[in-house]
Amino acid sequence: MSKFDPWLIVEYAPHLALGAWRTIYIVVAAFLLGYAFGIVLALLSFLPGRLPRTLLTIYSVCLRSIPFIIALFIIYYGLPFFGVRLPTIYVAIVSLAVYKSAYYAEAIRGAIVALPRGQFESARAVGMSPAQAFRHVIAPQILRGLIPPSTNLTLMLIKESSVLSSIAVAELTYQGLIMQGNTYAALEVFTAVSAVYWALCSMTAWLAHRLEARSNAPQAAAIQRNRIAARYLSFERVGK
Amino acid sequence: MFELDYFVDILPRLFAAALINVQLALIIAICALVSAIGLTILRVQKIAVLNMAINLVMSFVRGTPLLVQIFLCYYVLPSIGIDLGPITAGLLAITLNSTVFIAETMRGGLQTMDPGQVEAATALGLRAHLIWGKIIVPQLILRIVPMLVNEFTVIIKGTALLSVITVVEVMRAAQQLASSSFRPFESMLGAGLVFLVVNGVFILAGMRLESGMRERIG
Repeated sequence: MSKFDPWLIVEYAPHLALGAWRTIYIVVAAFLLGYAFGIVLALLSFLPGRLPRTLLTIYSVCLRSIPFIIALFIIYYGLPFFGVRLPTIYVAIVSLAVYKSAYYAEAIRGAIVALPRGQFESARAVGMSPAQAFRHVIAPQILRGLIPPSTNLTLMLIKESSVLSSIAVAELTYQGLIMQGNTYAALEVFTAVSAVYWALCSMTAWLAHRLEARSNAPQAAAIQRNRIAARYLSFERVGK
Repeated sequence: MFELDYFVDILPRLFAAALINVQLALIIAICALVSAIGLTILRVQKIAVLNMAINLVMSFVRGTPLLVQIFLCYYVLPSIGIDLGPITAGLLAITLNSTVFIAETMRGGLQTMDPGQVEAATALGLRAHLIWGKIIVPQLILRIVPMLVNEFTVIIKGTALLSVITVVEVMRAAQQLASSSFRPFESMLGAGLVFLVVNGVFILAGMRLESGMRERIG
């Protein structure tokens, strides 16, 4: 049994901060690249014919079946195999972006498909210009369907970035493992590392929550109004 | 050059290793489903302090990487006197992770239940355990079947992370093959193919169920 030594965390704080910064850097870059890739794939899947949609499905089944750690190593060993040599941090960003692009593409496609038919035509019929119709009718509805899944996927992205430690990218988890190797203080190390991840994810979720309009309120309110049902279907105490 | 012979040669060994992944995943899935149901029933009891503690733990599990949770179970638990082997520690970490995600979906599922059914059951004088066992839990599970299939694929993928704590499953087996043959690319591609075959079926089923569900609701 060892005692918790907070000074150890203070001593290694610069390393952890560096790791956290690199995690943020990688996640932001992979998010932008992966989302851009996802938009392109989603739009391509709307091309006429069944083939584009089928290809997107195959692409996303392949990526969803394989754990990120294996996809990462395939790309890591595969790039030199085809004569491409990149610094490890770019391999990390590209791998994360490619891996998540399939998920983003499906989410974007889902949000577009979920649009009720004829929204654009109706907006045009009441006299909106195409730009107005997109700005006031189409975009808000797509965004409402897009923000919740995108948030979840991005939280997954943050968490999956920890796997990059296995190809020696000096991000947060890697710094933690180095620190553990030096000090054997697993308790302090992983307490600190998980606290930083928790903070990163909480901040991301909070940002997304502010963006998101509350959508599922009516049904929840109906359950709250019904005291007998609330006894079984709700976690909060009903007032009065 | 891509060594096709080697690639074909290692596939049987990798598929054999996949049995470990599938076995672990099945154990985890069952444990996680049962504990998620238990956790949900516990949360509905509305014990304020307990719910706050549960929310905190759930937020922690949702906000930290599975890999770090595996390290927590494998490296940190021994330092507070709980020494689990790599397999048990891994099982514990993934089960905990999965329980939290299933419980969170169940929370959403509860909100889509028809209040009238609970009223009717209460009016008929059914006891709480019957309302849970015969009315709420079966419908709740039915409602989240697509998510459960999806979560099962996440669990299978999670088992590959156990390679970092020395559990010899597909990923670790591929690494061992790679280090003895100096053919890492073919070995990893083989591991990827094994996961594609094992997991692809569930992924496709999950996608079908999800779109089928969406059509019925929407």
